[in-house]
Amino acid sequence: MSRRGIPGRRNSAYFFLAPAAAVLLLVLTFPIVESVRLSFFEWQLRAIRQPPTFVGLRNYAELFASENFRQSILVTIRFSLSVVIIELILGTVFALLLEGDQVKGLRFFRTLYVLPIMIAPVVVGIMWRFMYHPSYGKINWFLSLVGISPVGWLSDPNMAMYSIIIADVWQWTPFVFLLVLAGLQGVPKDLMEASVVDGANYLQTLVSIKLPYIAAILGLTAVLRLIDSFRSLVVIFNMTFGGPGVSTEVLSLHLYKTAFTSQRLGLASAVAVVLLLVVFSFSGVLIWRAVRQEGR
Amino acid sequence: MRSSRFFSVFCLLLITAALAFAGGGREAAPAAAPAATGEFDWQRYAGTTVVFNFPNHVHYNAMIEAGVIEEFEELTGITVEVDRMQYLNMHDSQVLEMSRAQGDYDLISMVVMWKAEYALGGMIRPLQPFFDNPSLAVPGYNFDDLVPGYVEVTGIAGGDNIYRNGPGAELYGVPFGSETSFMIYRTDIFDEYNIPVPRTYAELTEAARRVYQEVPGVYGLTMRAASGHHATHAWLLHASPFGARVFDDNWEPVVNSPEAIETIEFMLQMLDYGPPGMVGFTQDEEFAAFLQGDAAIYLDASVFAGPAKNPRVSRVHENLGFALHPSARTPLSQTGGFGIAIPANSRNPEAAFLLMQFLTMPETEEKIIRAGGAPFRMSSLNNPALQAEYPEFAVLAEQLKVANPDWRPIIPEWGEINNMLGIAINQALTREKTPQQAMNDVMGPIRQVMVRAGYLD
Repeated sequence: MSRRGIPGRRNSAYFFLAPAAAVLLLVLTFPIVESVRLSFFEWQLRAIRQPPTFVGLRNYAELFASENFRQSILVTIRFSLSVVIIELILGTVFALLLEGDQVKGLRFFRTLYVLPIMIAPVVVGIMWRFMYHPSYGKINWFLSLVGISPVGWLSDPNMAMYSIIIADVWQWTPFVFLLVLAGLQGVPKDLMEASVVDGANYLQTLVSIKLPYIAAILGLTAVLRLIDSFRSLVVIFNMTFGGPGVSTEVLSLHLYKTAFTSQRLGLASAVAVVLLLVVFSFSGVLIWRAVRQEGR
Repeated sequence: MRSSRFFSVFCLLLITAALAFAGGGREAAPAAAPAATGEFDWQRYAGTTVVFNFPNHVHYNAMIEAGVIEEFEELTGITVEVDRMQYLNMHDSQVLEMSRAQGDYDLISMVVMWKAEYALGGMIRPLQPFFDNPSLAVPGYNFDDLVPGYVEVTGIAGGDNIYRNGPGAELYGVPFGSETSFMIYRTDIFDEYNIPVPRTYAELTEAARRVYQEVPGVYGLTMRAASGHHATHAWLLHASPFGARVFDDNWEPVVNSPEAIETIEFMLQMLDYGPPGMVGFTQDEEFAAFLQGDAAIYLDASVFAGPAKNPRVSRVHENLGFALHPSARTPLSQTGGFGIAIPANSRNPEAAFLLMQFLTMPETEEKIIRAGGAPFRMSSLNNPALQAEYPEFAVLAEQLKVANPDWRPIIPEWGEINNMLGIAINQALTREKTPQQAMNDVMGPIRQVMVRAGYLD
């Protein structure tokens, strides 16, 4: 029997992986390449049947000359870094409090705690918009009980950013909590017992055993949340639509408005490319650090 | 064991598919109502399906409540699938649908500010050929009875004036859910505190101040002001009587003129006397503040009369007074709202045209009015019996004499300018910038749009 035509073990692996790799390449790479290509063209949504006009780097020049766009980058970075740091801290604290089975009903609270992740973002946006309502919102009502006058949660440019950060933290802290909790369950019990026998207190076990064990998971969680928060759109869309002024206009919302309000698809593609670069540069640093830690 | 696992997966897929398909379809209007008869052949397109995209809006909600869609289906044998959306989200969906070679929409409701963009982009059909076709034009439709200002603002585009009547202009839509602006006020408060009904902006400011300072728990004027479209709408509504404009006669932006700044200063005063957080109000929140009795004065779209009088949604329905839009330098009110049009890529344009006519016929209009919709025919506004039943009609008929079809330059590029302007005005209203600084800063970006579009060099 001739062996010709029968692929070797390595070749057969490539052979079977090829369709999936081709689909992935097409689905992942094509839209990115197309976005980058389109960012060098002027193409209007209302004239979508007409061919795009090549304009070189003009879209990028226009973007960086735009005060609203520069403001939008700052808003995005401020929002993303704030929510990721707060969610990591809170998620870790809650996971440490709710790990183990010392307290009765812990399982119930764990389940209850992850409910916000299950709610559709559009519902979260509308729900928080109502809660923040200056006249009928629950939050101002509670404040009024202690004699505090109504706060313009979404209408005050100085407050609106904090308001959307609170909503995001409320929804996504449970995600961090779940991952950290899973990580904590991987901490070897014998090691914990040995540390207790050696007389280590809670703080010492936390700093010397638990945190080093979950460091990789924390890194991964940070990357996932950072990427996700840079792309946040639906909740902010429903809560403020970028206002007051442009004080909560994150890059993804700026992109939406450029594509569908201004109807400039080429310029919107340039925004998308910048957004991709911002996400890539921030998450790249975190991934690089995580890989280095793994290497050690 | 293995086979039961496969069976479970199969069942799961089946349930998922059933849920997806059950929830994904459009809302189909059920048939009912007795058939009308007449010489006109309404049954010509029986068996076809028309997809109608329209907003979740006072007038269209009244249309649904009046049951006229079912009547049309019964009369014509045409099935109507309705696709109802939040009004500012319709634009994306409509543009994407109308950009395809053949779209799903046969009849669309468009906000007047999209009219020129759609017409000049070849996305909607001129209607004159339909009205000229005796087999399609319903006898007794009486086109001339439609409020002329509404027809111009919702339906006329093309030609030298782009979005207004003039040489080369054509008819692309008919009014349905159209509006002007007028004032609604709380008669109980005005009577008790002896506040005169404002006829000028100076009097309006004084009335708002007195309500704010004298009436416990009630604020002056309710107003939309959220960043973007809502802020621009509110500004233009007041800018028109103040004499401010977006462009001069040569398409140069003039949004930083003294009149424009004076308009923003008036709005800032209204924010001081208005409900808390009003600077973030959308139209729904503007409405809610009046309906809940938090604000004593409303000055905006006339379609709000329907909800204001509806005891199911209005706490103040028994104490309503209607008055003309106050005058500043001139007594101008807005013209806007919605018109209906037929997409160029509609699969069933003739059947859609029948629906368009049916919805805007005098008989249908009266049914929609009685369900809380807005009038759009002069015969209804001037009908003494209807005026007795609907006190706002007489005011509306008077208001329409000074309705300004050019209060907002709805050129195809308006969407982009609307957003820029709305951000700048909101920045002034939140006191992030001074009115002059905010409007000076937006002049350059607006001019860039006009240069890019070829209006300016």
